[in-house]
Amino acid sequence: MMQRRPFFGTFVTPGVVVAVLFAITMGMVLQFSVRTQIPGSLDVGGLTFANFTAMLHPLYARVFLDTLWLCVLTAVISLVLGYPLAYALVRSHNAFVKSAILIITVTPLFLGEVVRTYSWIVVLGRNGFVNSLLLDLHLIAKPLELLFTITGVTIALVHVTLPVVTVMLAAAIAHIDVAYEKAAESLGAGPVRIFLTVTLPVSGPGIVAGLTTAFAWTFSAFATPQLVGGGKVNMISNLVYQLGLGNFNFPFAASLSVAGLALTFASIALLRMALRPIEKVEP
Amino acid sequence: MSSMPAKLIPVPVSGPEVDAKPRDVAVRLDGVTKRFGDAAALSEAWLQVSRGEFMTLLGPSGCGKTTLLNLIAGFLFPDNGEVFIDNALVTDVPTFQREIGIVFQNYALFPHMTVADNVAYGLKARGVARGEIAGRVADVLAMMKLTGLEDRKPRQLSGGQQQRVALARALVIRPKVLLLDEPFSALDKNLRGSMQVEVKEIQRKLGVTTIFVTHDQSEALSLSDRIAVISEGRIRQIGTPPEIYRRPADRFVASFIGEGSVLRARLDRIDEHLAVARVGTTQVTVPAAPLSGLSPGVLVDLFVRPEKLRLGAGDAAFEGVVSTAIYQGDRVDLHIDAPHAASTRVLMRIPCHEAVPQAGSRIAIAIGDTDATAFPVGE
Amino acid sequence: MRQRLSAHALRWSGRLVVLAILGFIVLPAVVVGIAAFNAKALLTFPPQQLSLRWFVNAFTYADFQTGFRNGLIVTLVSSSIALVVGAAFAFVLDRYDFATKRLLETLLLAPLVVPHFTVGLGFLILAAQVSMSRGYTVVVLCHVVLVLPFVLRSVYISLRNLNPKLELVASSLGARPTRVLFTVTLPLLAPGLFSGWLFAAILSFNEFTASLFVTGQKTQTLPVAMYNYVREYADPTMAALSVVFIVATATLLAFANMFLGLGKVLNVEHAR
Repeated sequence: MMQRRPFFGTFVTPGVVVAVLFAITMGMVLQFSVRTQIPGSLDVGGLTFANFTAMLHPLYARVFLDTLWLCVLTAVISLVLGYPLAYALVRSHNAFVKSAILIITVTPLFLGEVVRTYSWIVVLGRNGFVNSLLLDLHLIAKPLELLFTITGVTIALVHVTLPVVTVMLAAAIAHIDVAYEKAAESLGAGPVRIFLTVTLPVSGPGIVAGLTTAFAWTFSAFATPQLVGGGKVNMISNLVYQLGLGNFNFPFAASLSVAGLALTFASIALLRMALRPIEKVEP
Repeated sequence: MSSMPAKLIPVPVSGPEVDAKPRDVAVRLDGVTKRFGDAAALSEAWLQVSRGEFMTLLGPSGCGKTTLLNLIAGFLFPDNGEVFIDNALVTDVPTFQREIGIVFQNYALFPHMTVADNVAYGLKARGVARGEIAGRVADVLAMMKLTGLEDRKPRQLSGGQQQRVALARALVIRPKVLLLDEPFSALDKNLRGSMQVEVKEIQRKLGVTTIFVTHDQSEALSLSDRIAVISEGRIRQIGTPPEIYRRPADRFVASFIGEGSVLRARLDRIDEHLAVARVGTTQVTVPAAPLSGLSPGVLVDLFVRPEKLRLGAGDAAFEGVVSTAIYQGDRVDLHIDAPHAASTRVLMRIPCHEAVPQAGSRIAIAIGDTDATAFPVGE
Repeated sequence: MRQRLSAHALRWSGRLVVLAILGFIVLPAVVVGIAAFNAKALLTFPPQQLSLRWFVNAFTYADFQTGFRNGLIVTLVSSSIALVVGAAFAFVLDRYDFATKRLLETLLLAPLVVPHFTVGLGFLILAAQVSMSRGYTVVVLCHVVLVLPFVLRSVYISLRNLNPKLELVASSLGARPTRVLFTVTLPLLAPGLFSGWLFAAILSFNEFTASLFVTGQKTQTLPVAMYNYVREYADPTMAALSVVFIVATATLLAFANMFLGLGKVLNVEHAR
């Protein structure tokens, strides 16, 4: 009966179009990853797995490992810093404080990678904020090399993922019924114990969501390692750019993307399996 | 043996018999079934509502009464059976073409429109002329005592006012059927009482066929012309309030409506329409329909209303010990333990001016020999 | 007494920790803000003299101006398309069941997990295959795919919070489905639609990675122009531009919070 589902056709068709478009682009990437490159042209040759075997070269393996390591490091640090922030955001009684924390935390999300990353160059550079401060306080003799190092890139990446991890944790904490904590309190538990035995475990699903999101976002990062890493610290994203846009080696760039995606999904699956005990907690 | 009372007319449960002239039937359901997945929310529902009648669909939550209402409204389409409104087949007709008016429990007033716009909505949708809209809206607001509130938004109104607006909105379009889905559940007790009276008066004055859904049996008994008792997706009985109260068709209806005690009785005699059940030396006449298939001599459960029990002397049916006496203002409720004679605690009511037995005292109880029903044991 | 002291100490140390973390988040913005006013052409800190010349440079730099214009065109077109497509699909997602529902939902939300450089690469390859130049079409299509998930989620949440009885009542009063849609559903969804559109627009305007892949010389958006500038020049012009960005974004978000309540949209309000 047409009347039972009014608008169905009209409303679902645009979505189908976009979904198909996206599927086609991903299909192209997949398809190109198994073709040979014809140097100097945008056309591609026959089927081959050469692109994937080429990735086993230590140069590229290094990039894969660096990427994974940065993802893990960033996710963990974001979690540790994000939790207190999320807790304060949800549990503070002052509406102004809540709004302030929310705006401050969320604004970086909308600034775009270039602005965010560029600011860190000013902070971490040879003549930047950190070095000037430490030199003036006579804590160091000569400027620290923070740019173009894993440390610098990590700091900038944490800055990028912290907002989203905080928001996800806050969403989880917000849905914990305060009654649980009040009950624990009435039974004689102190604030630290309440936190460790009630709040933290019940926010388990939020923690897992935050970690996996931070992991996935860090993997996608491009501008940050590109600018702060300056070519010395490369993630898979930077390689894809150099090879895809720089050399027009679409096939290899595509295979890097595919391998990277596979790696990310595998890592996230492993992560979730490892974290299953805390994810299963029902608030 | 007491003389047989006048022949008891058997009460139809629910089936394809016609009990009103076709012209006067406003709503008709023929064997309507609705399934959700594997579970049947409503099975084989046969129902006829006469024009101008106040019909209540009564049952506990989840029994299917709201499903039935939704099927009449057109929010759901049946898997089997047909739905008729004013003798026109509407089974596949969508809601906006059915000319019904509905009031929901939470009123569902459009929050972004004023009272006047809410009430005028249906008229605008039907393309009524602007001048006429203003007049009809003013009339119905006056009838619902809402004059002066035209420009208020729903959130600025009290619960009772919101309900009147919802009612006004449904009535102004002159619907063929008015559907009320537990409209009073959200109101406090006092407001509920006065709203019930008001709605009944308006319904009578306008003569609009009304189908009312509730789980509150006392509300159903006091407001309805007829009641359809529903449980687990099936209509158990359709009848006037006295019929439902005095002649429940099955165990569910008997226990859901009003209060009563279940006494152990023995089936003495059974024929086509009537049967006789005995408690002690007292014989009680009951309808034969619920006991069909049983032979004399078996145990049956005799269902007796509290007002049909009285303190007895020589004519006592059984004895019991008073457990509690609860003062109710106009009467006293006695809760009596009589495990050998009853499978539940016995409830009887005595007027305050009579002597009230003390808790713990042993009393003899007599049964009035009319208006009782018996069912097979442990149905 | 001892309990109260330690509870006090706990609360204050907690506050300090939160303040320190907030400081970390705000640090780059503050530093950049100060560096933008440096009179000299070096990225030194702290600046010795103050000047507004970098702001002037930022606003008059040709590439930034075209970048801004391009970005505005791309953003307005793609977020509007994404709004219509996303709202329509959210409607279908909320109310109807059909065979390919989950598959379509996964495909449309996938850009949330697929890296932007992969999406960008994909569109670049696609454009090359169909011999399409890197004009506006490719960029707009790419942005639509990227921001659609946000619109979809925002509108879906609004739909879920809509009282279904309102539409049923409207229908019962004789309104055809189209009338119900325009007089009841859409007006009540308006806040969700607007906030979805706003977030999509902000994300599209600031999107960099995929845009780097799919834009060309003529269709360069502002973030891409900024990136190219940083690679060549080391003066505080970018700092000045960043300051403008930060102030504009924070203001927009504060405005959105006031009218729509960011907390609700981001799902961080207390459960009732």
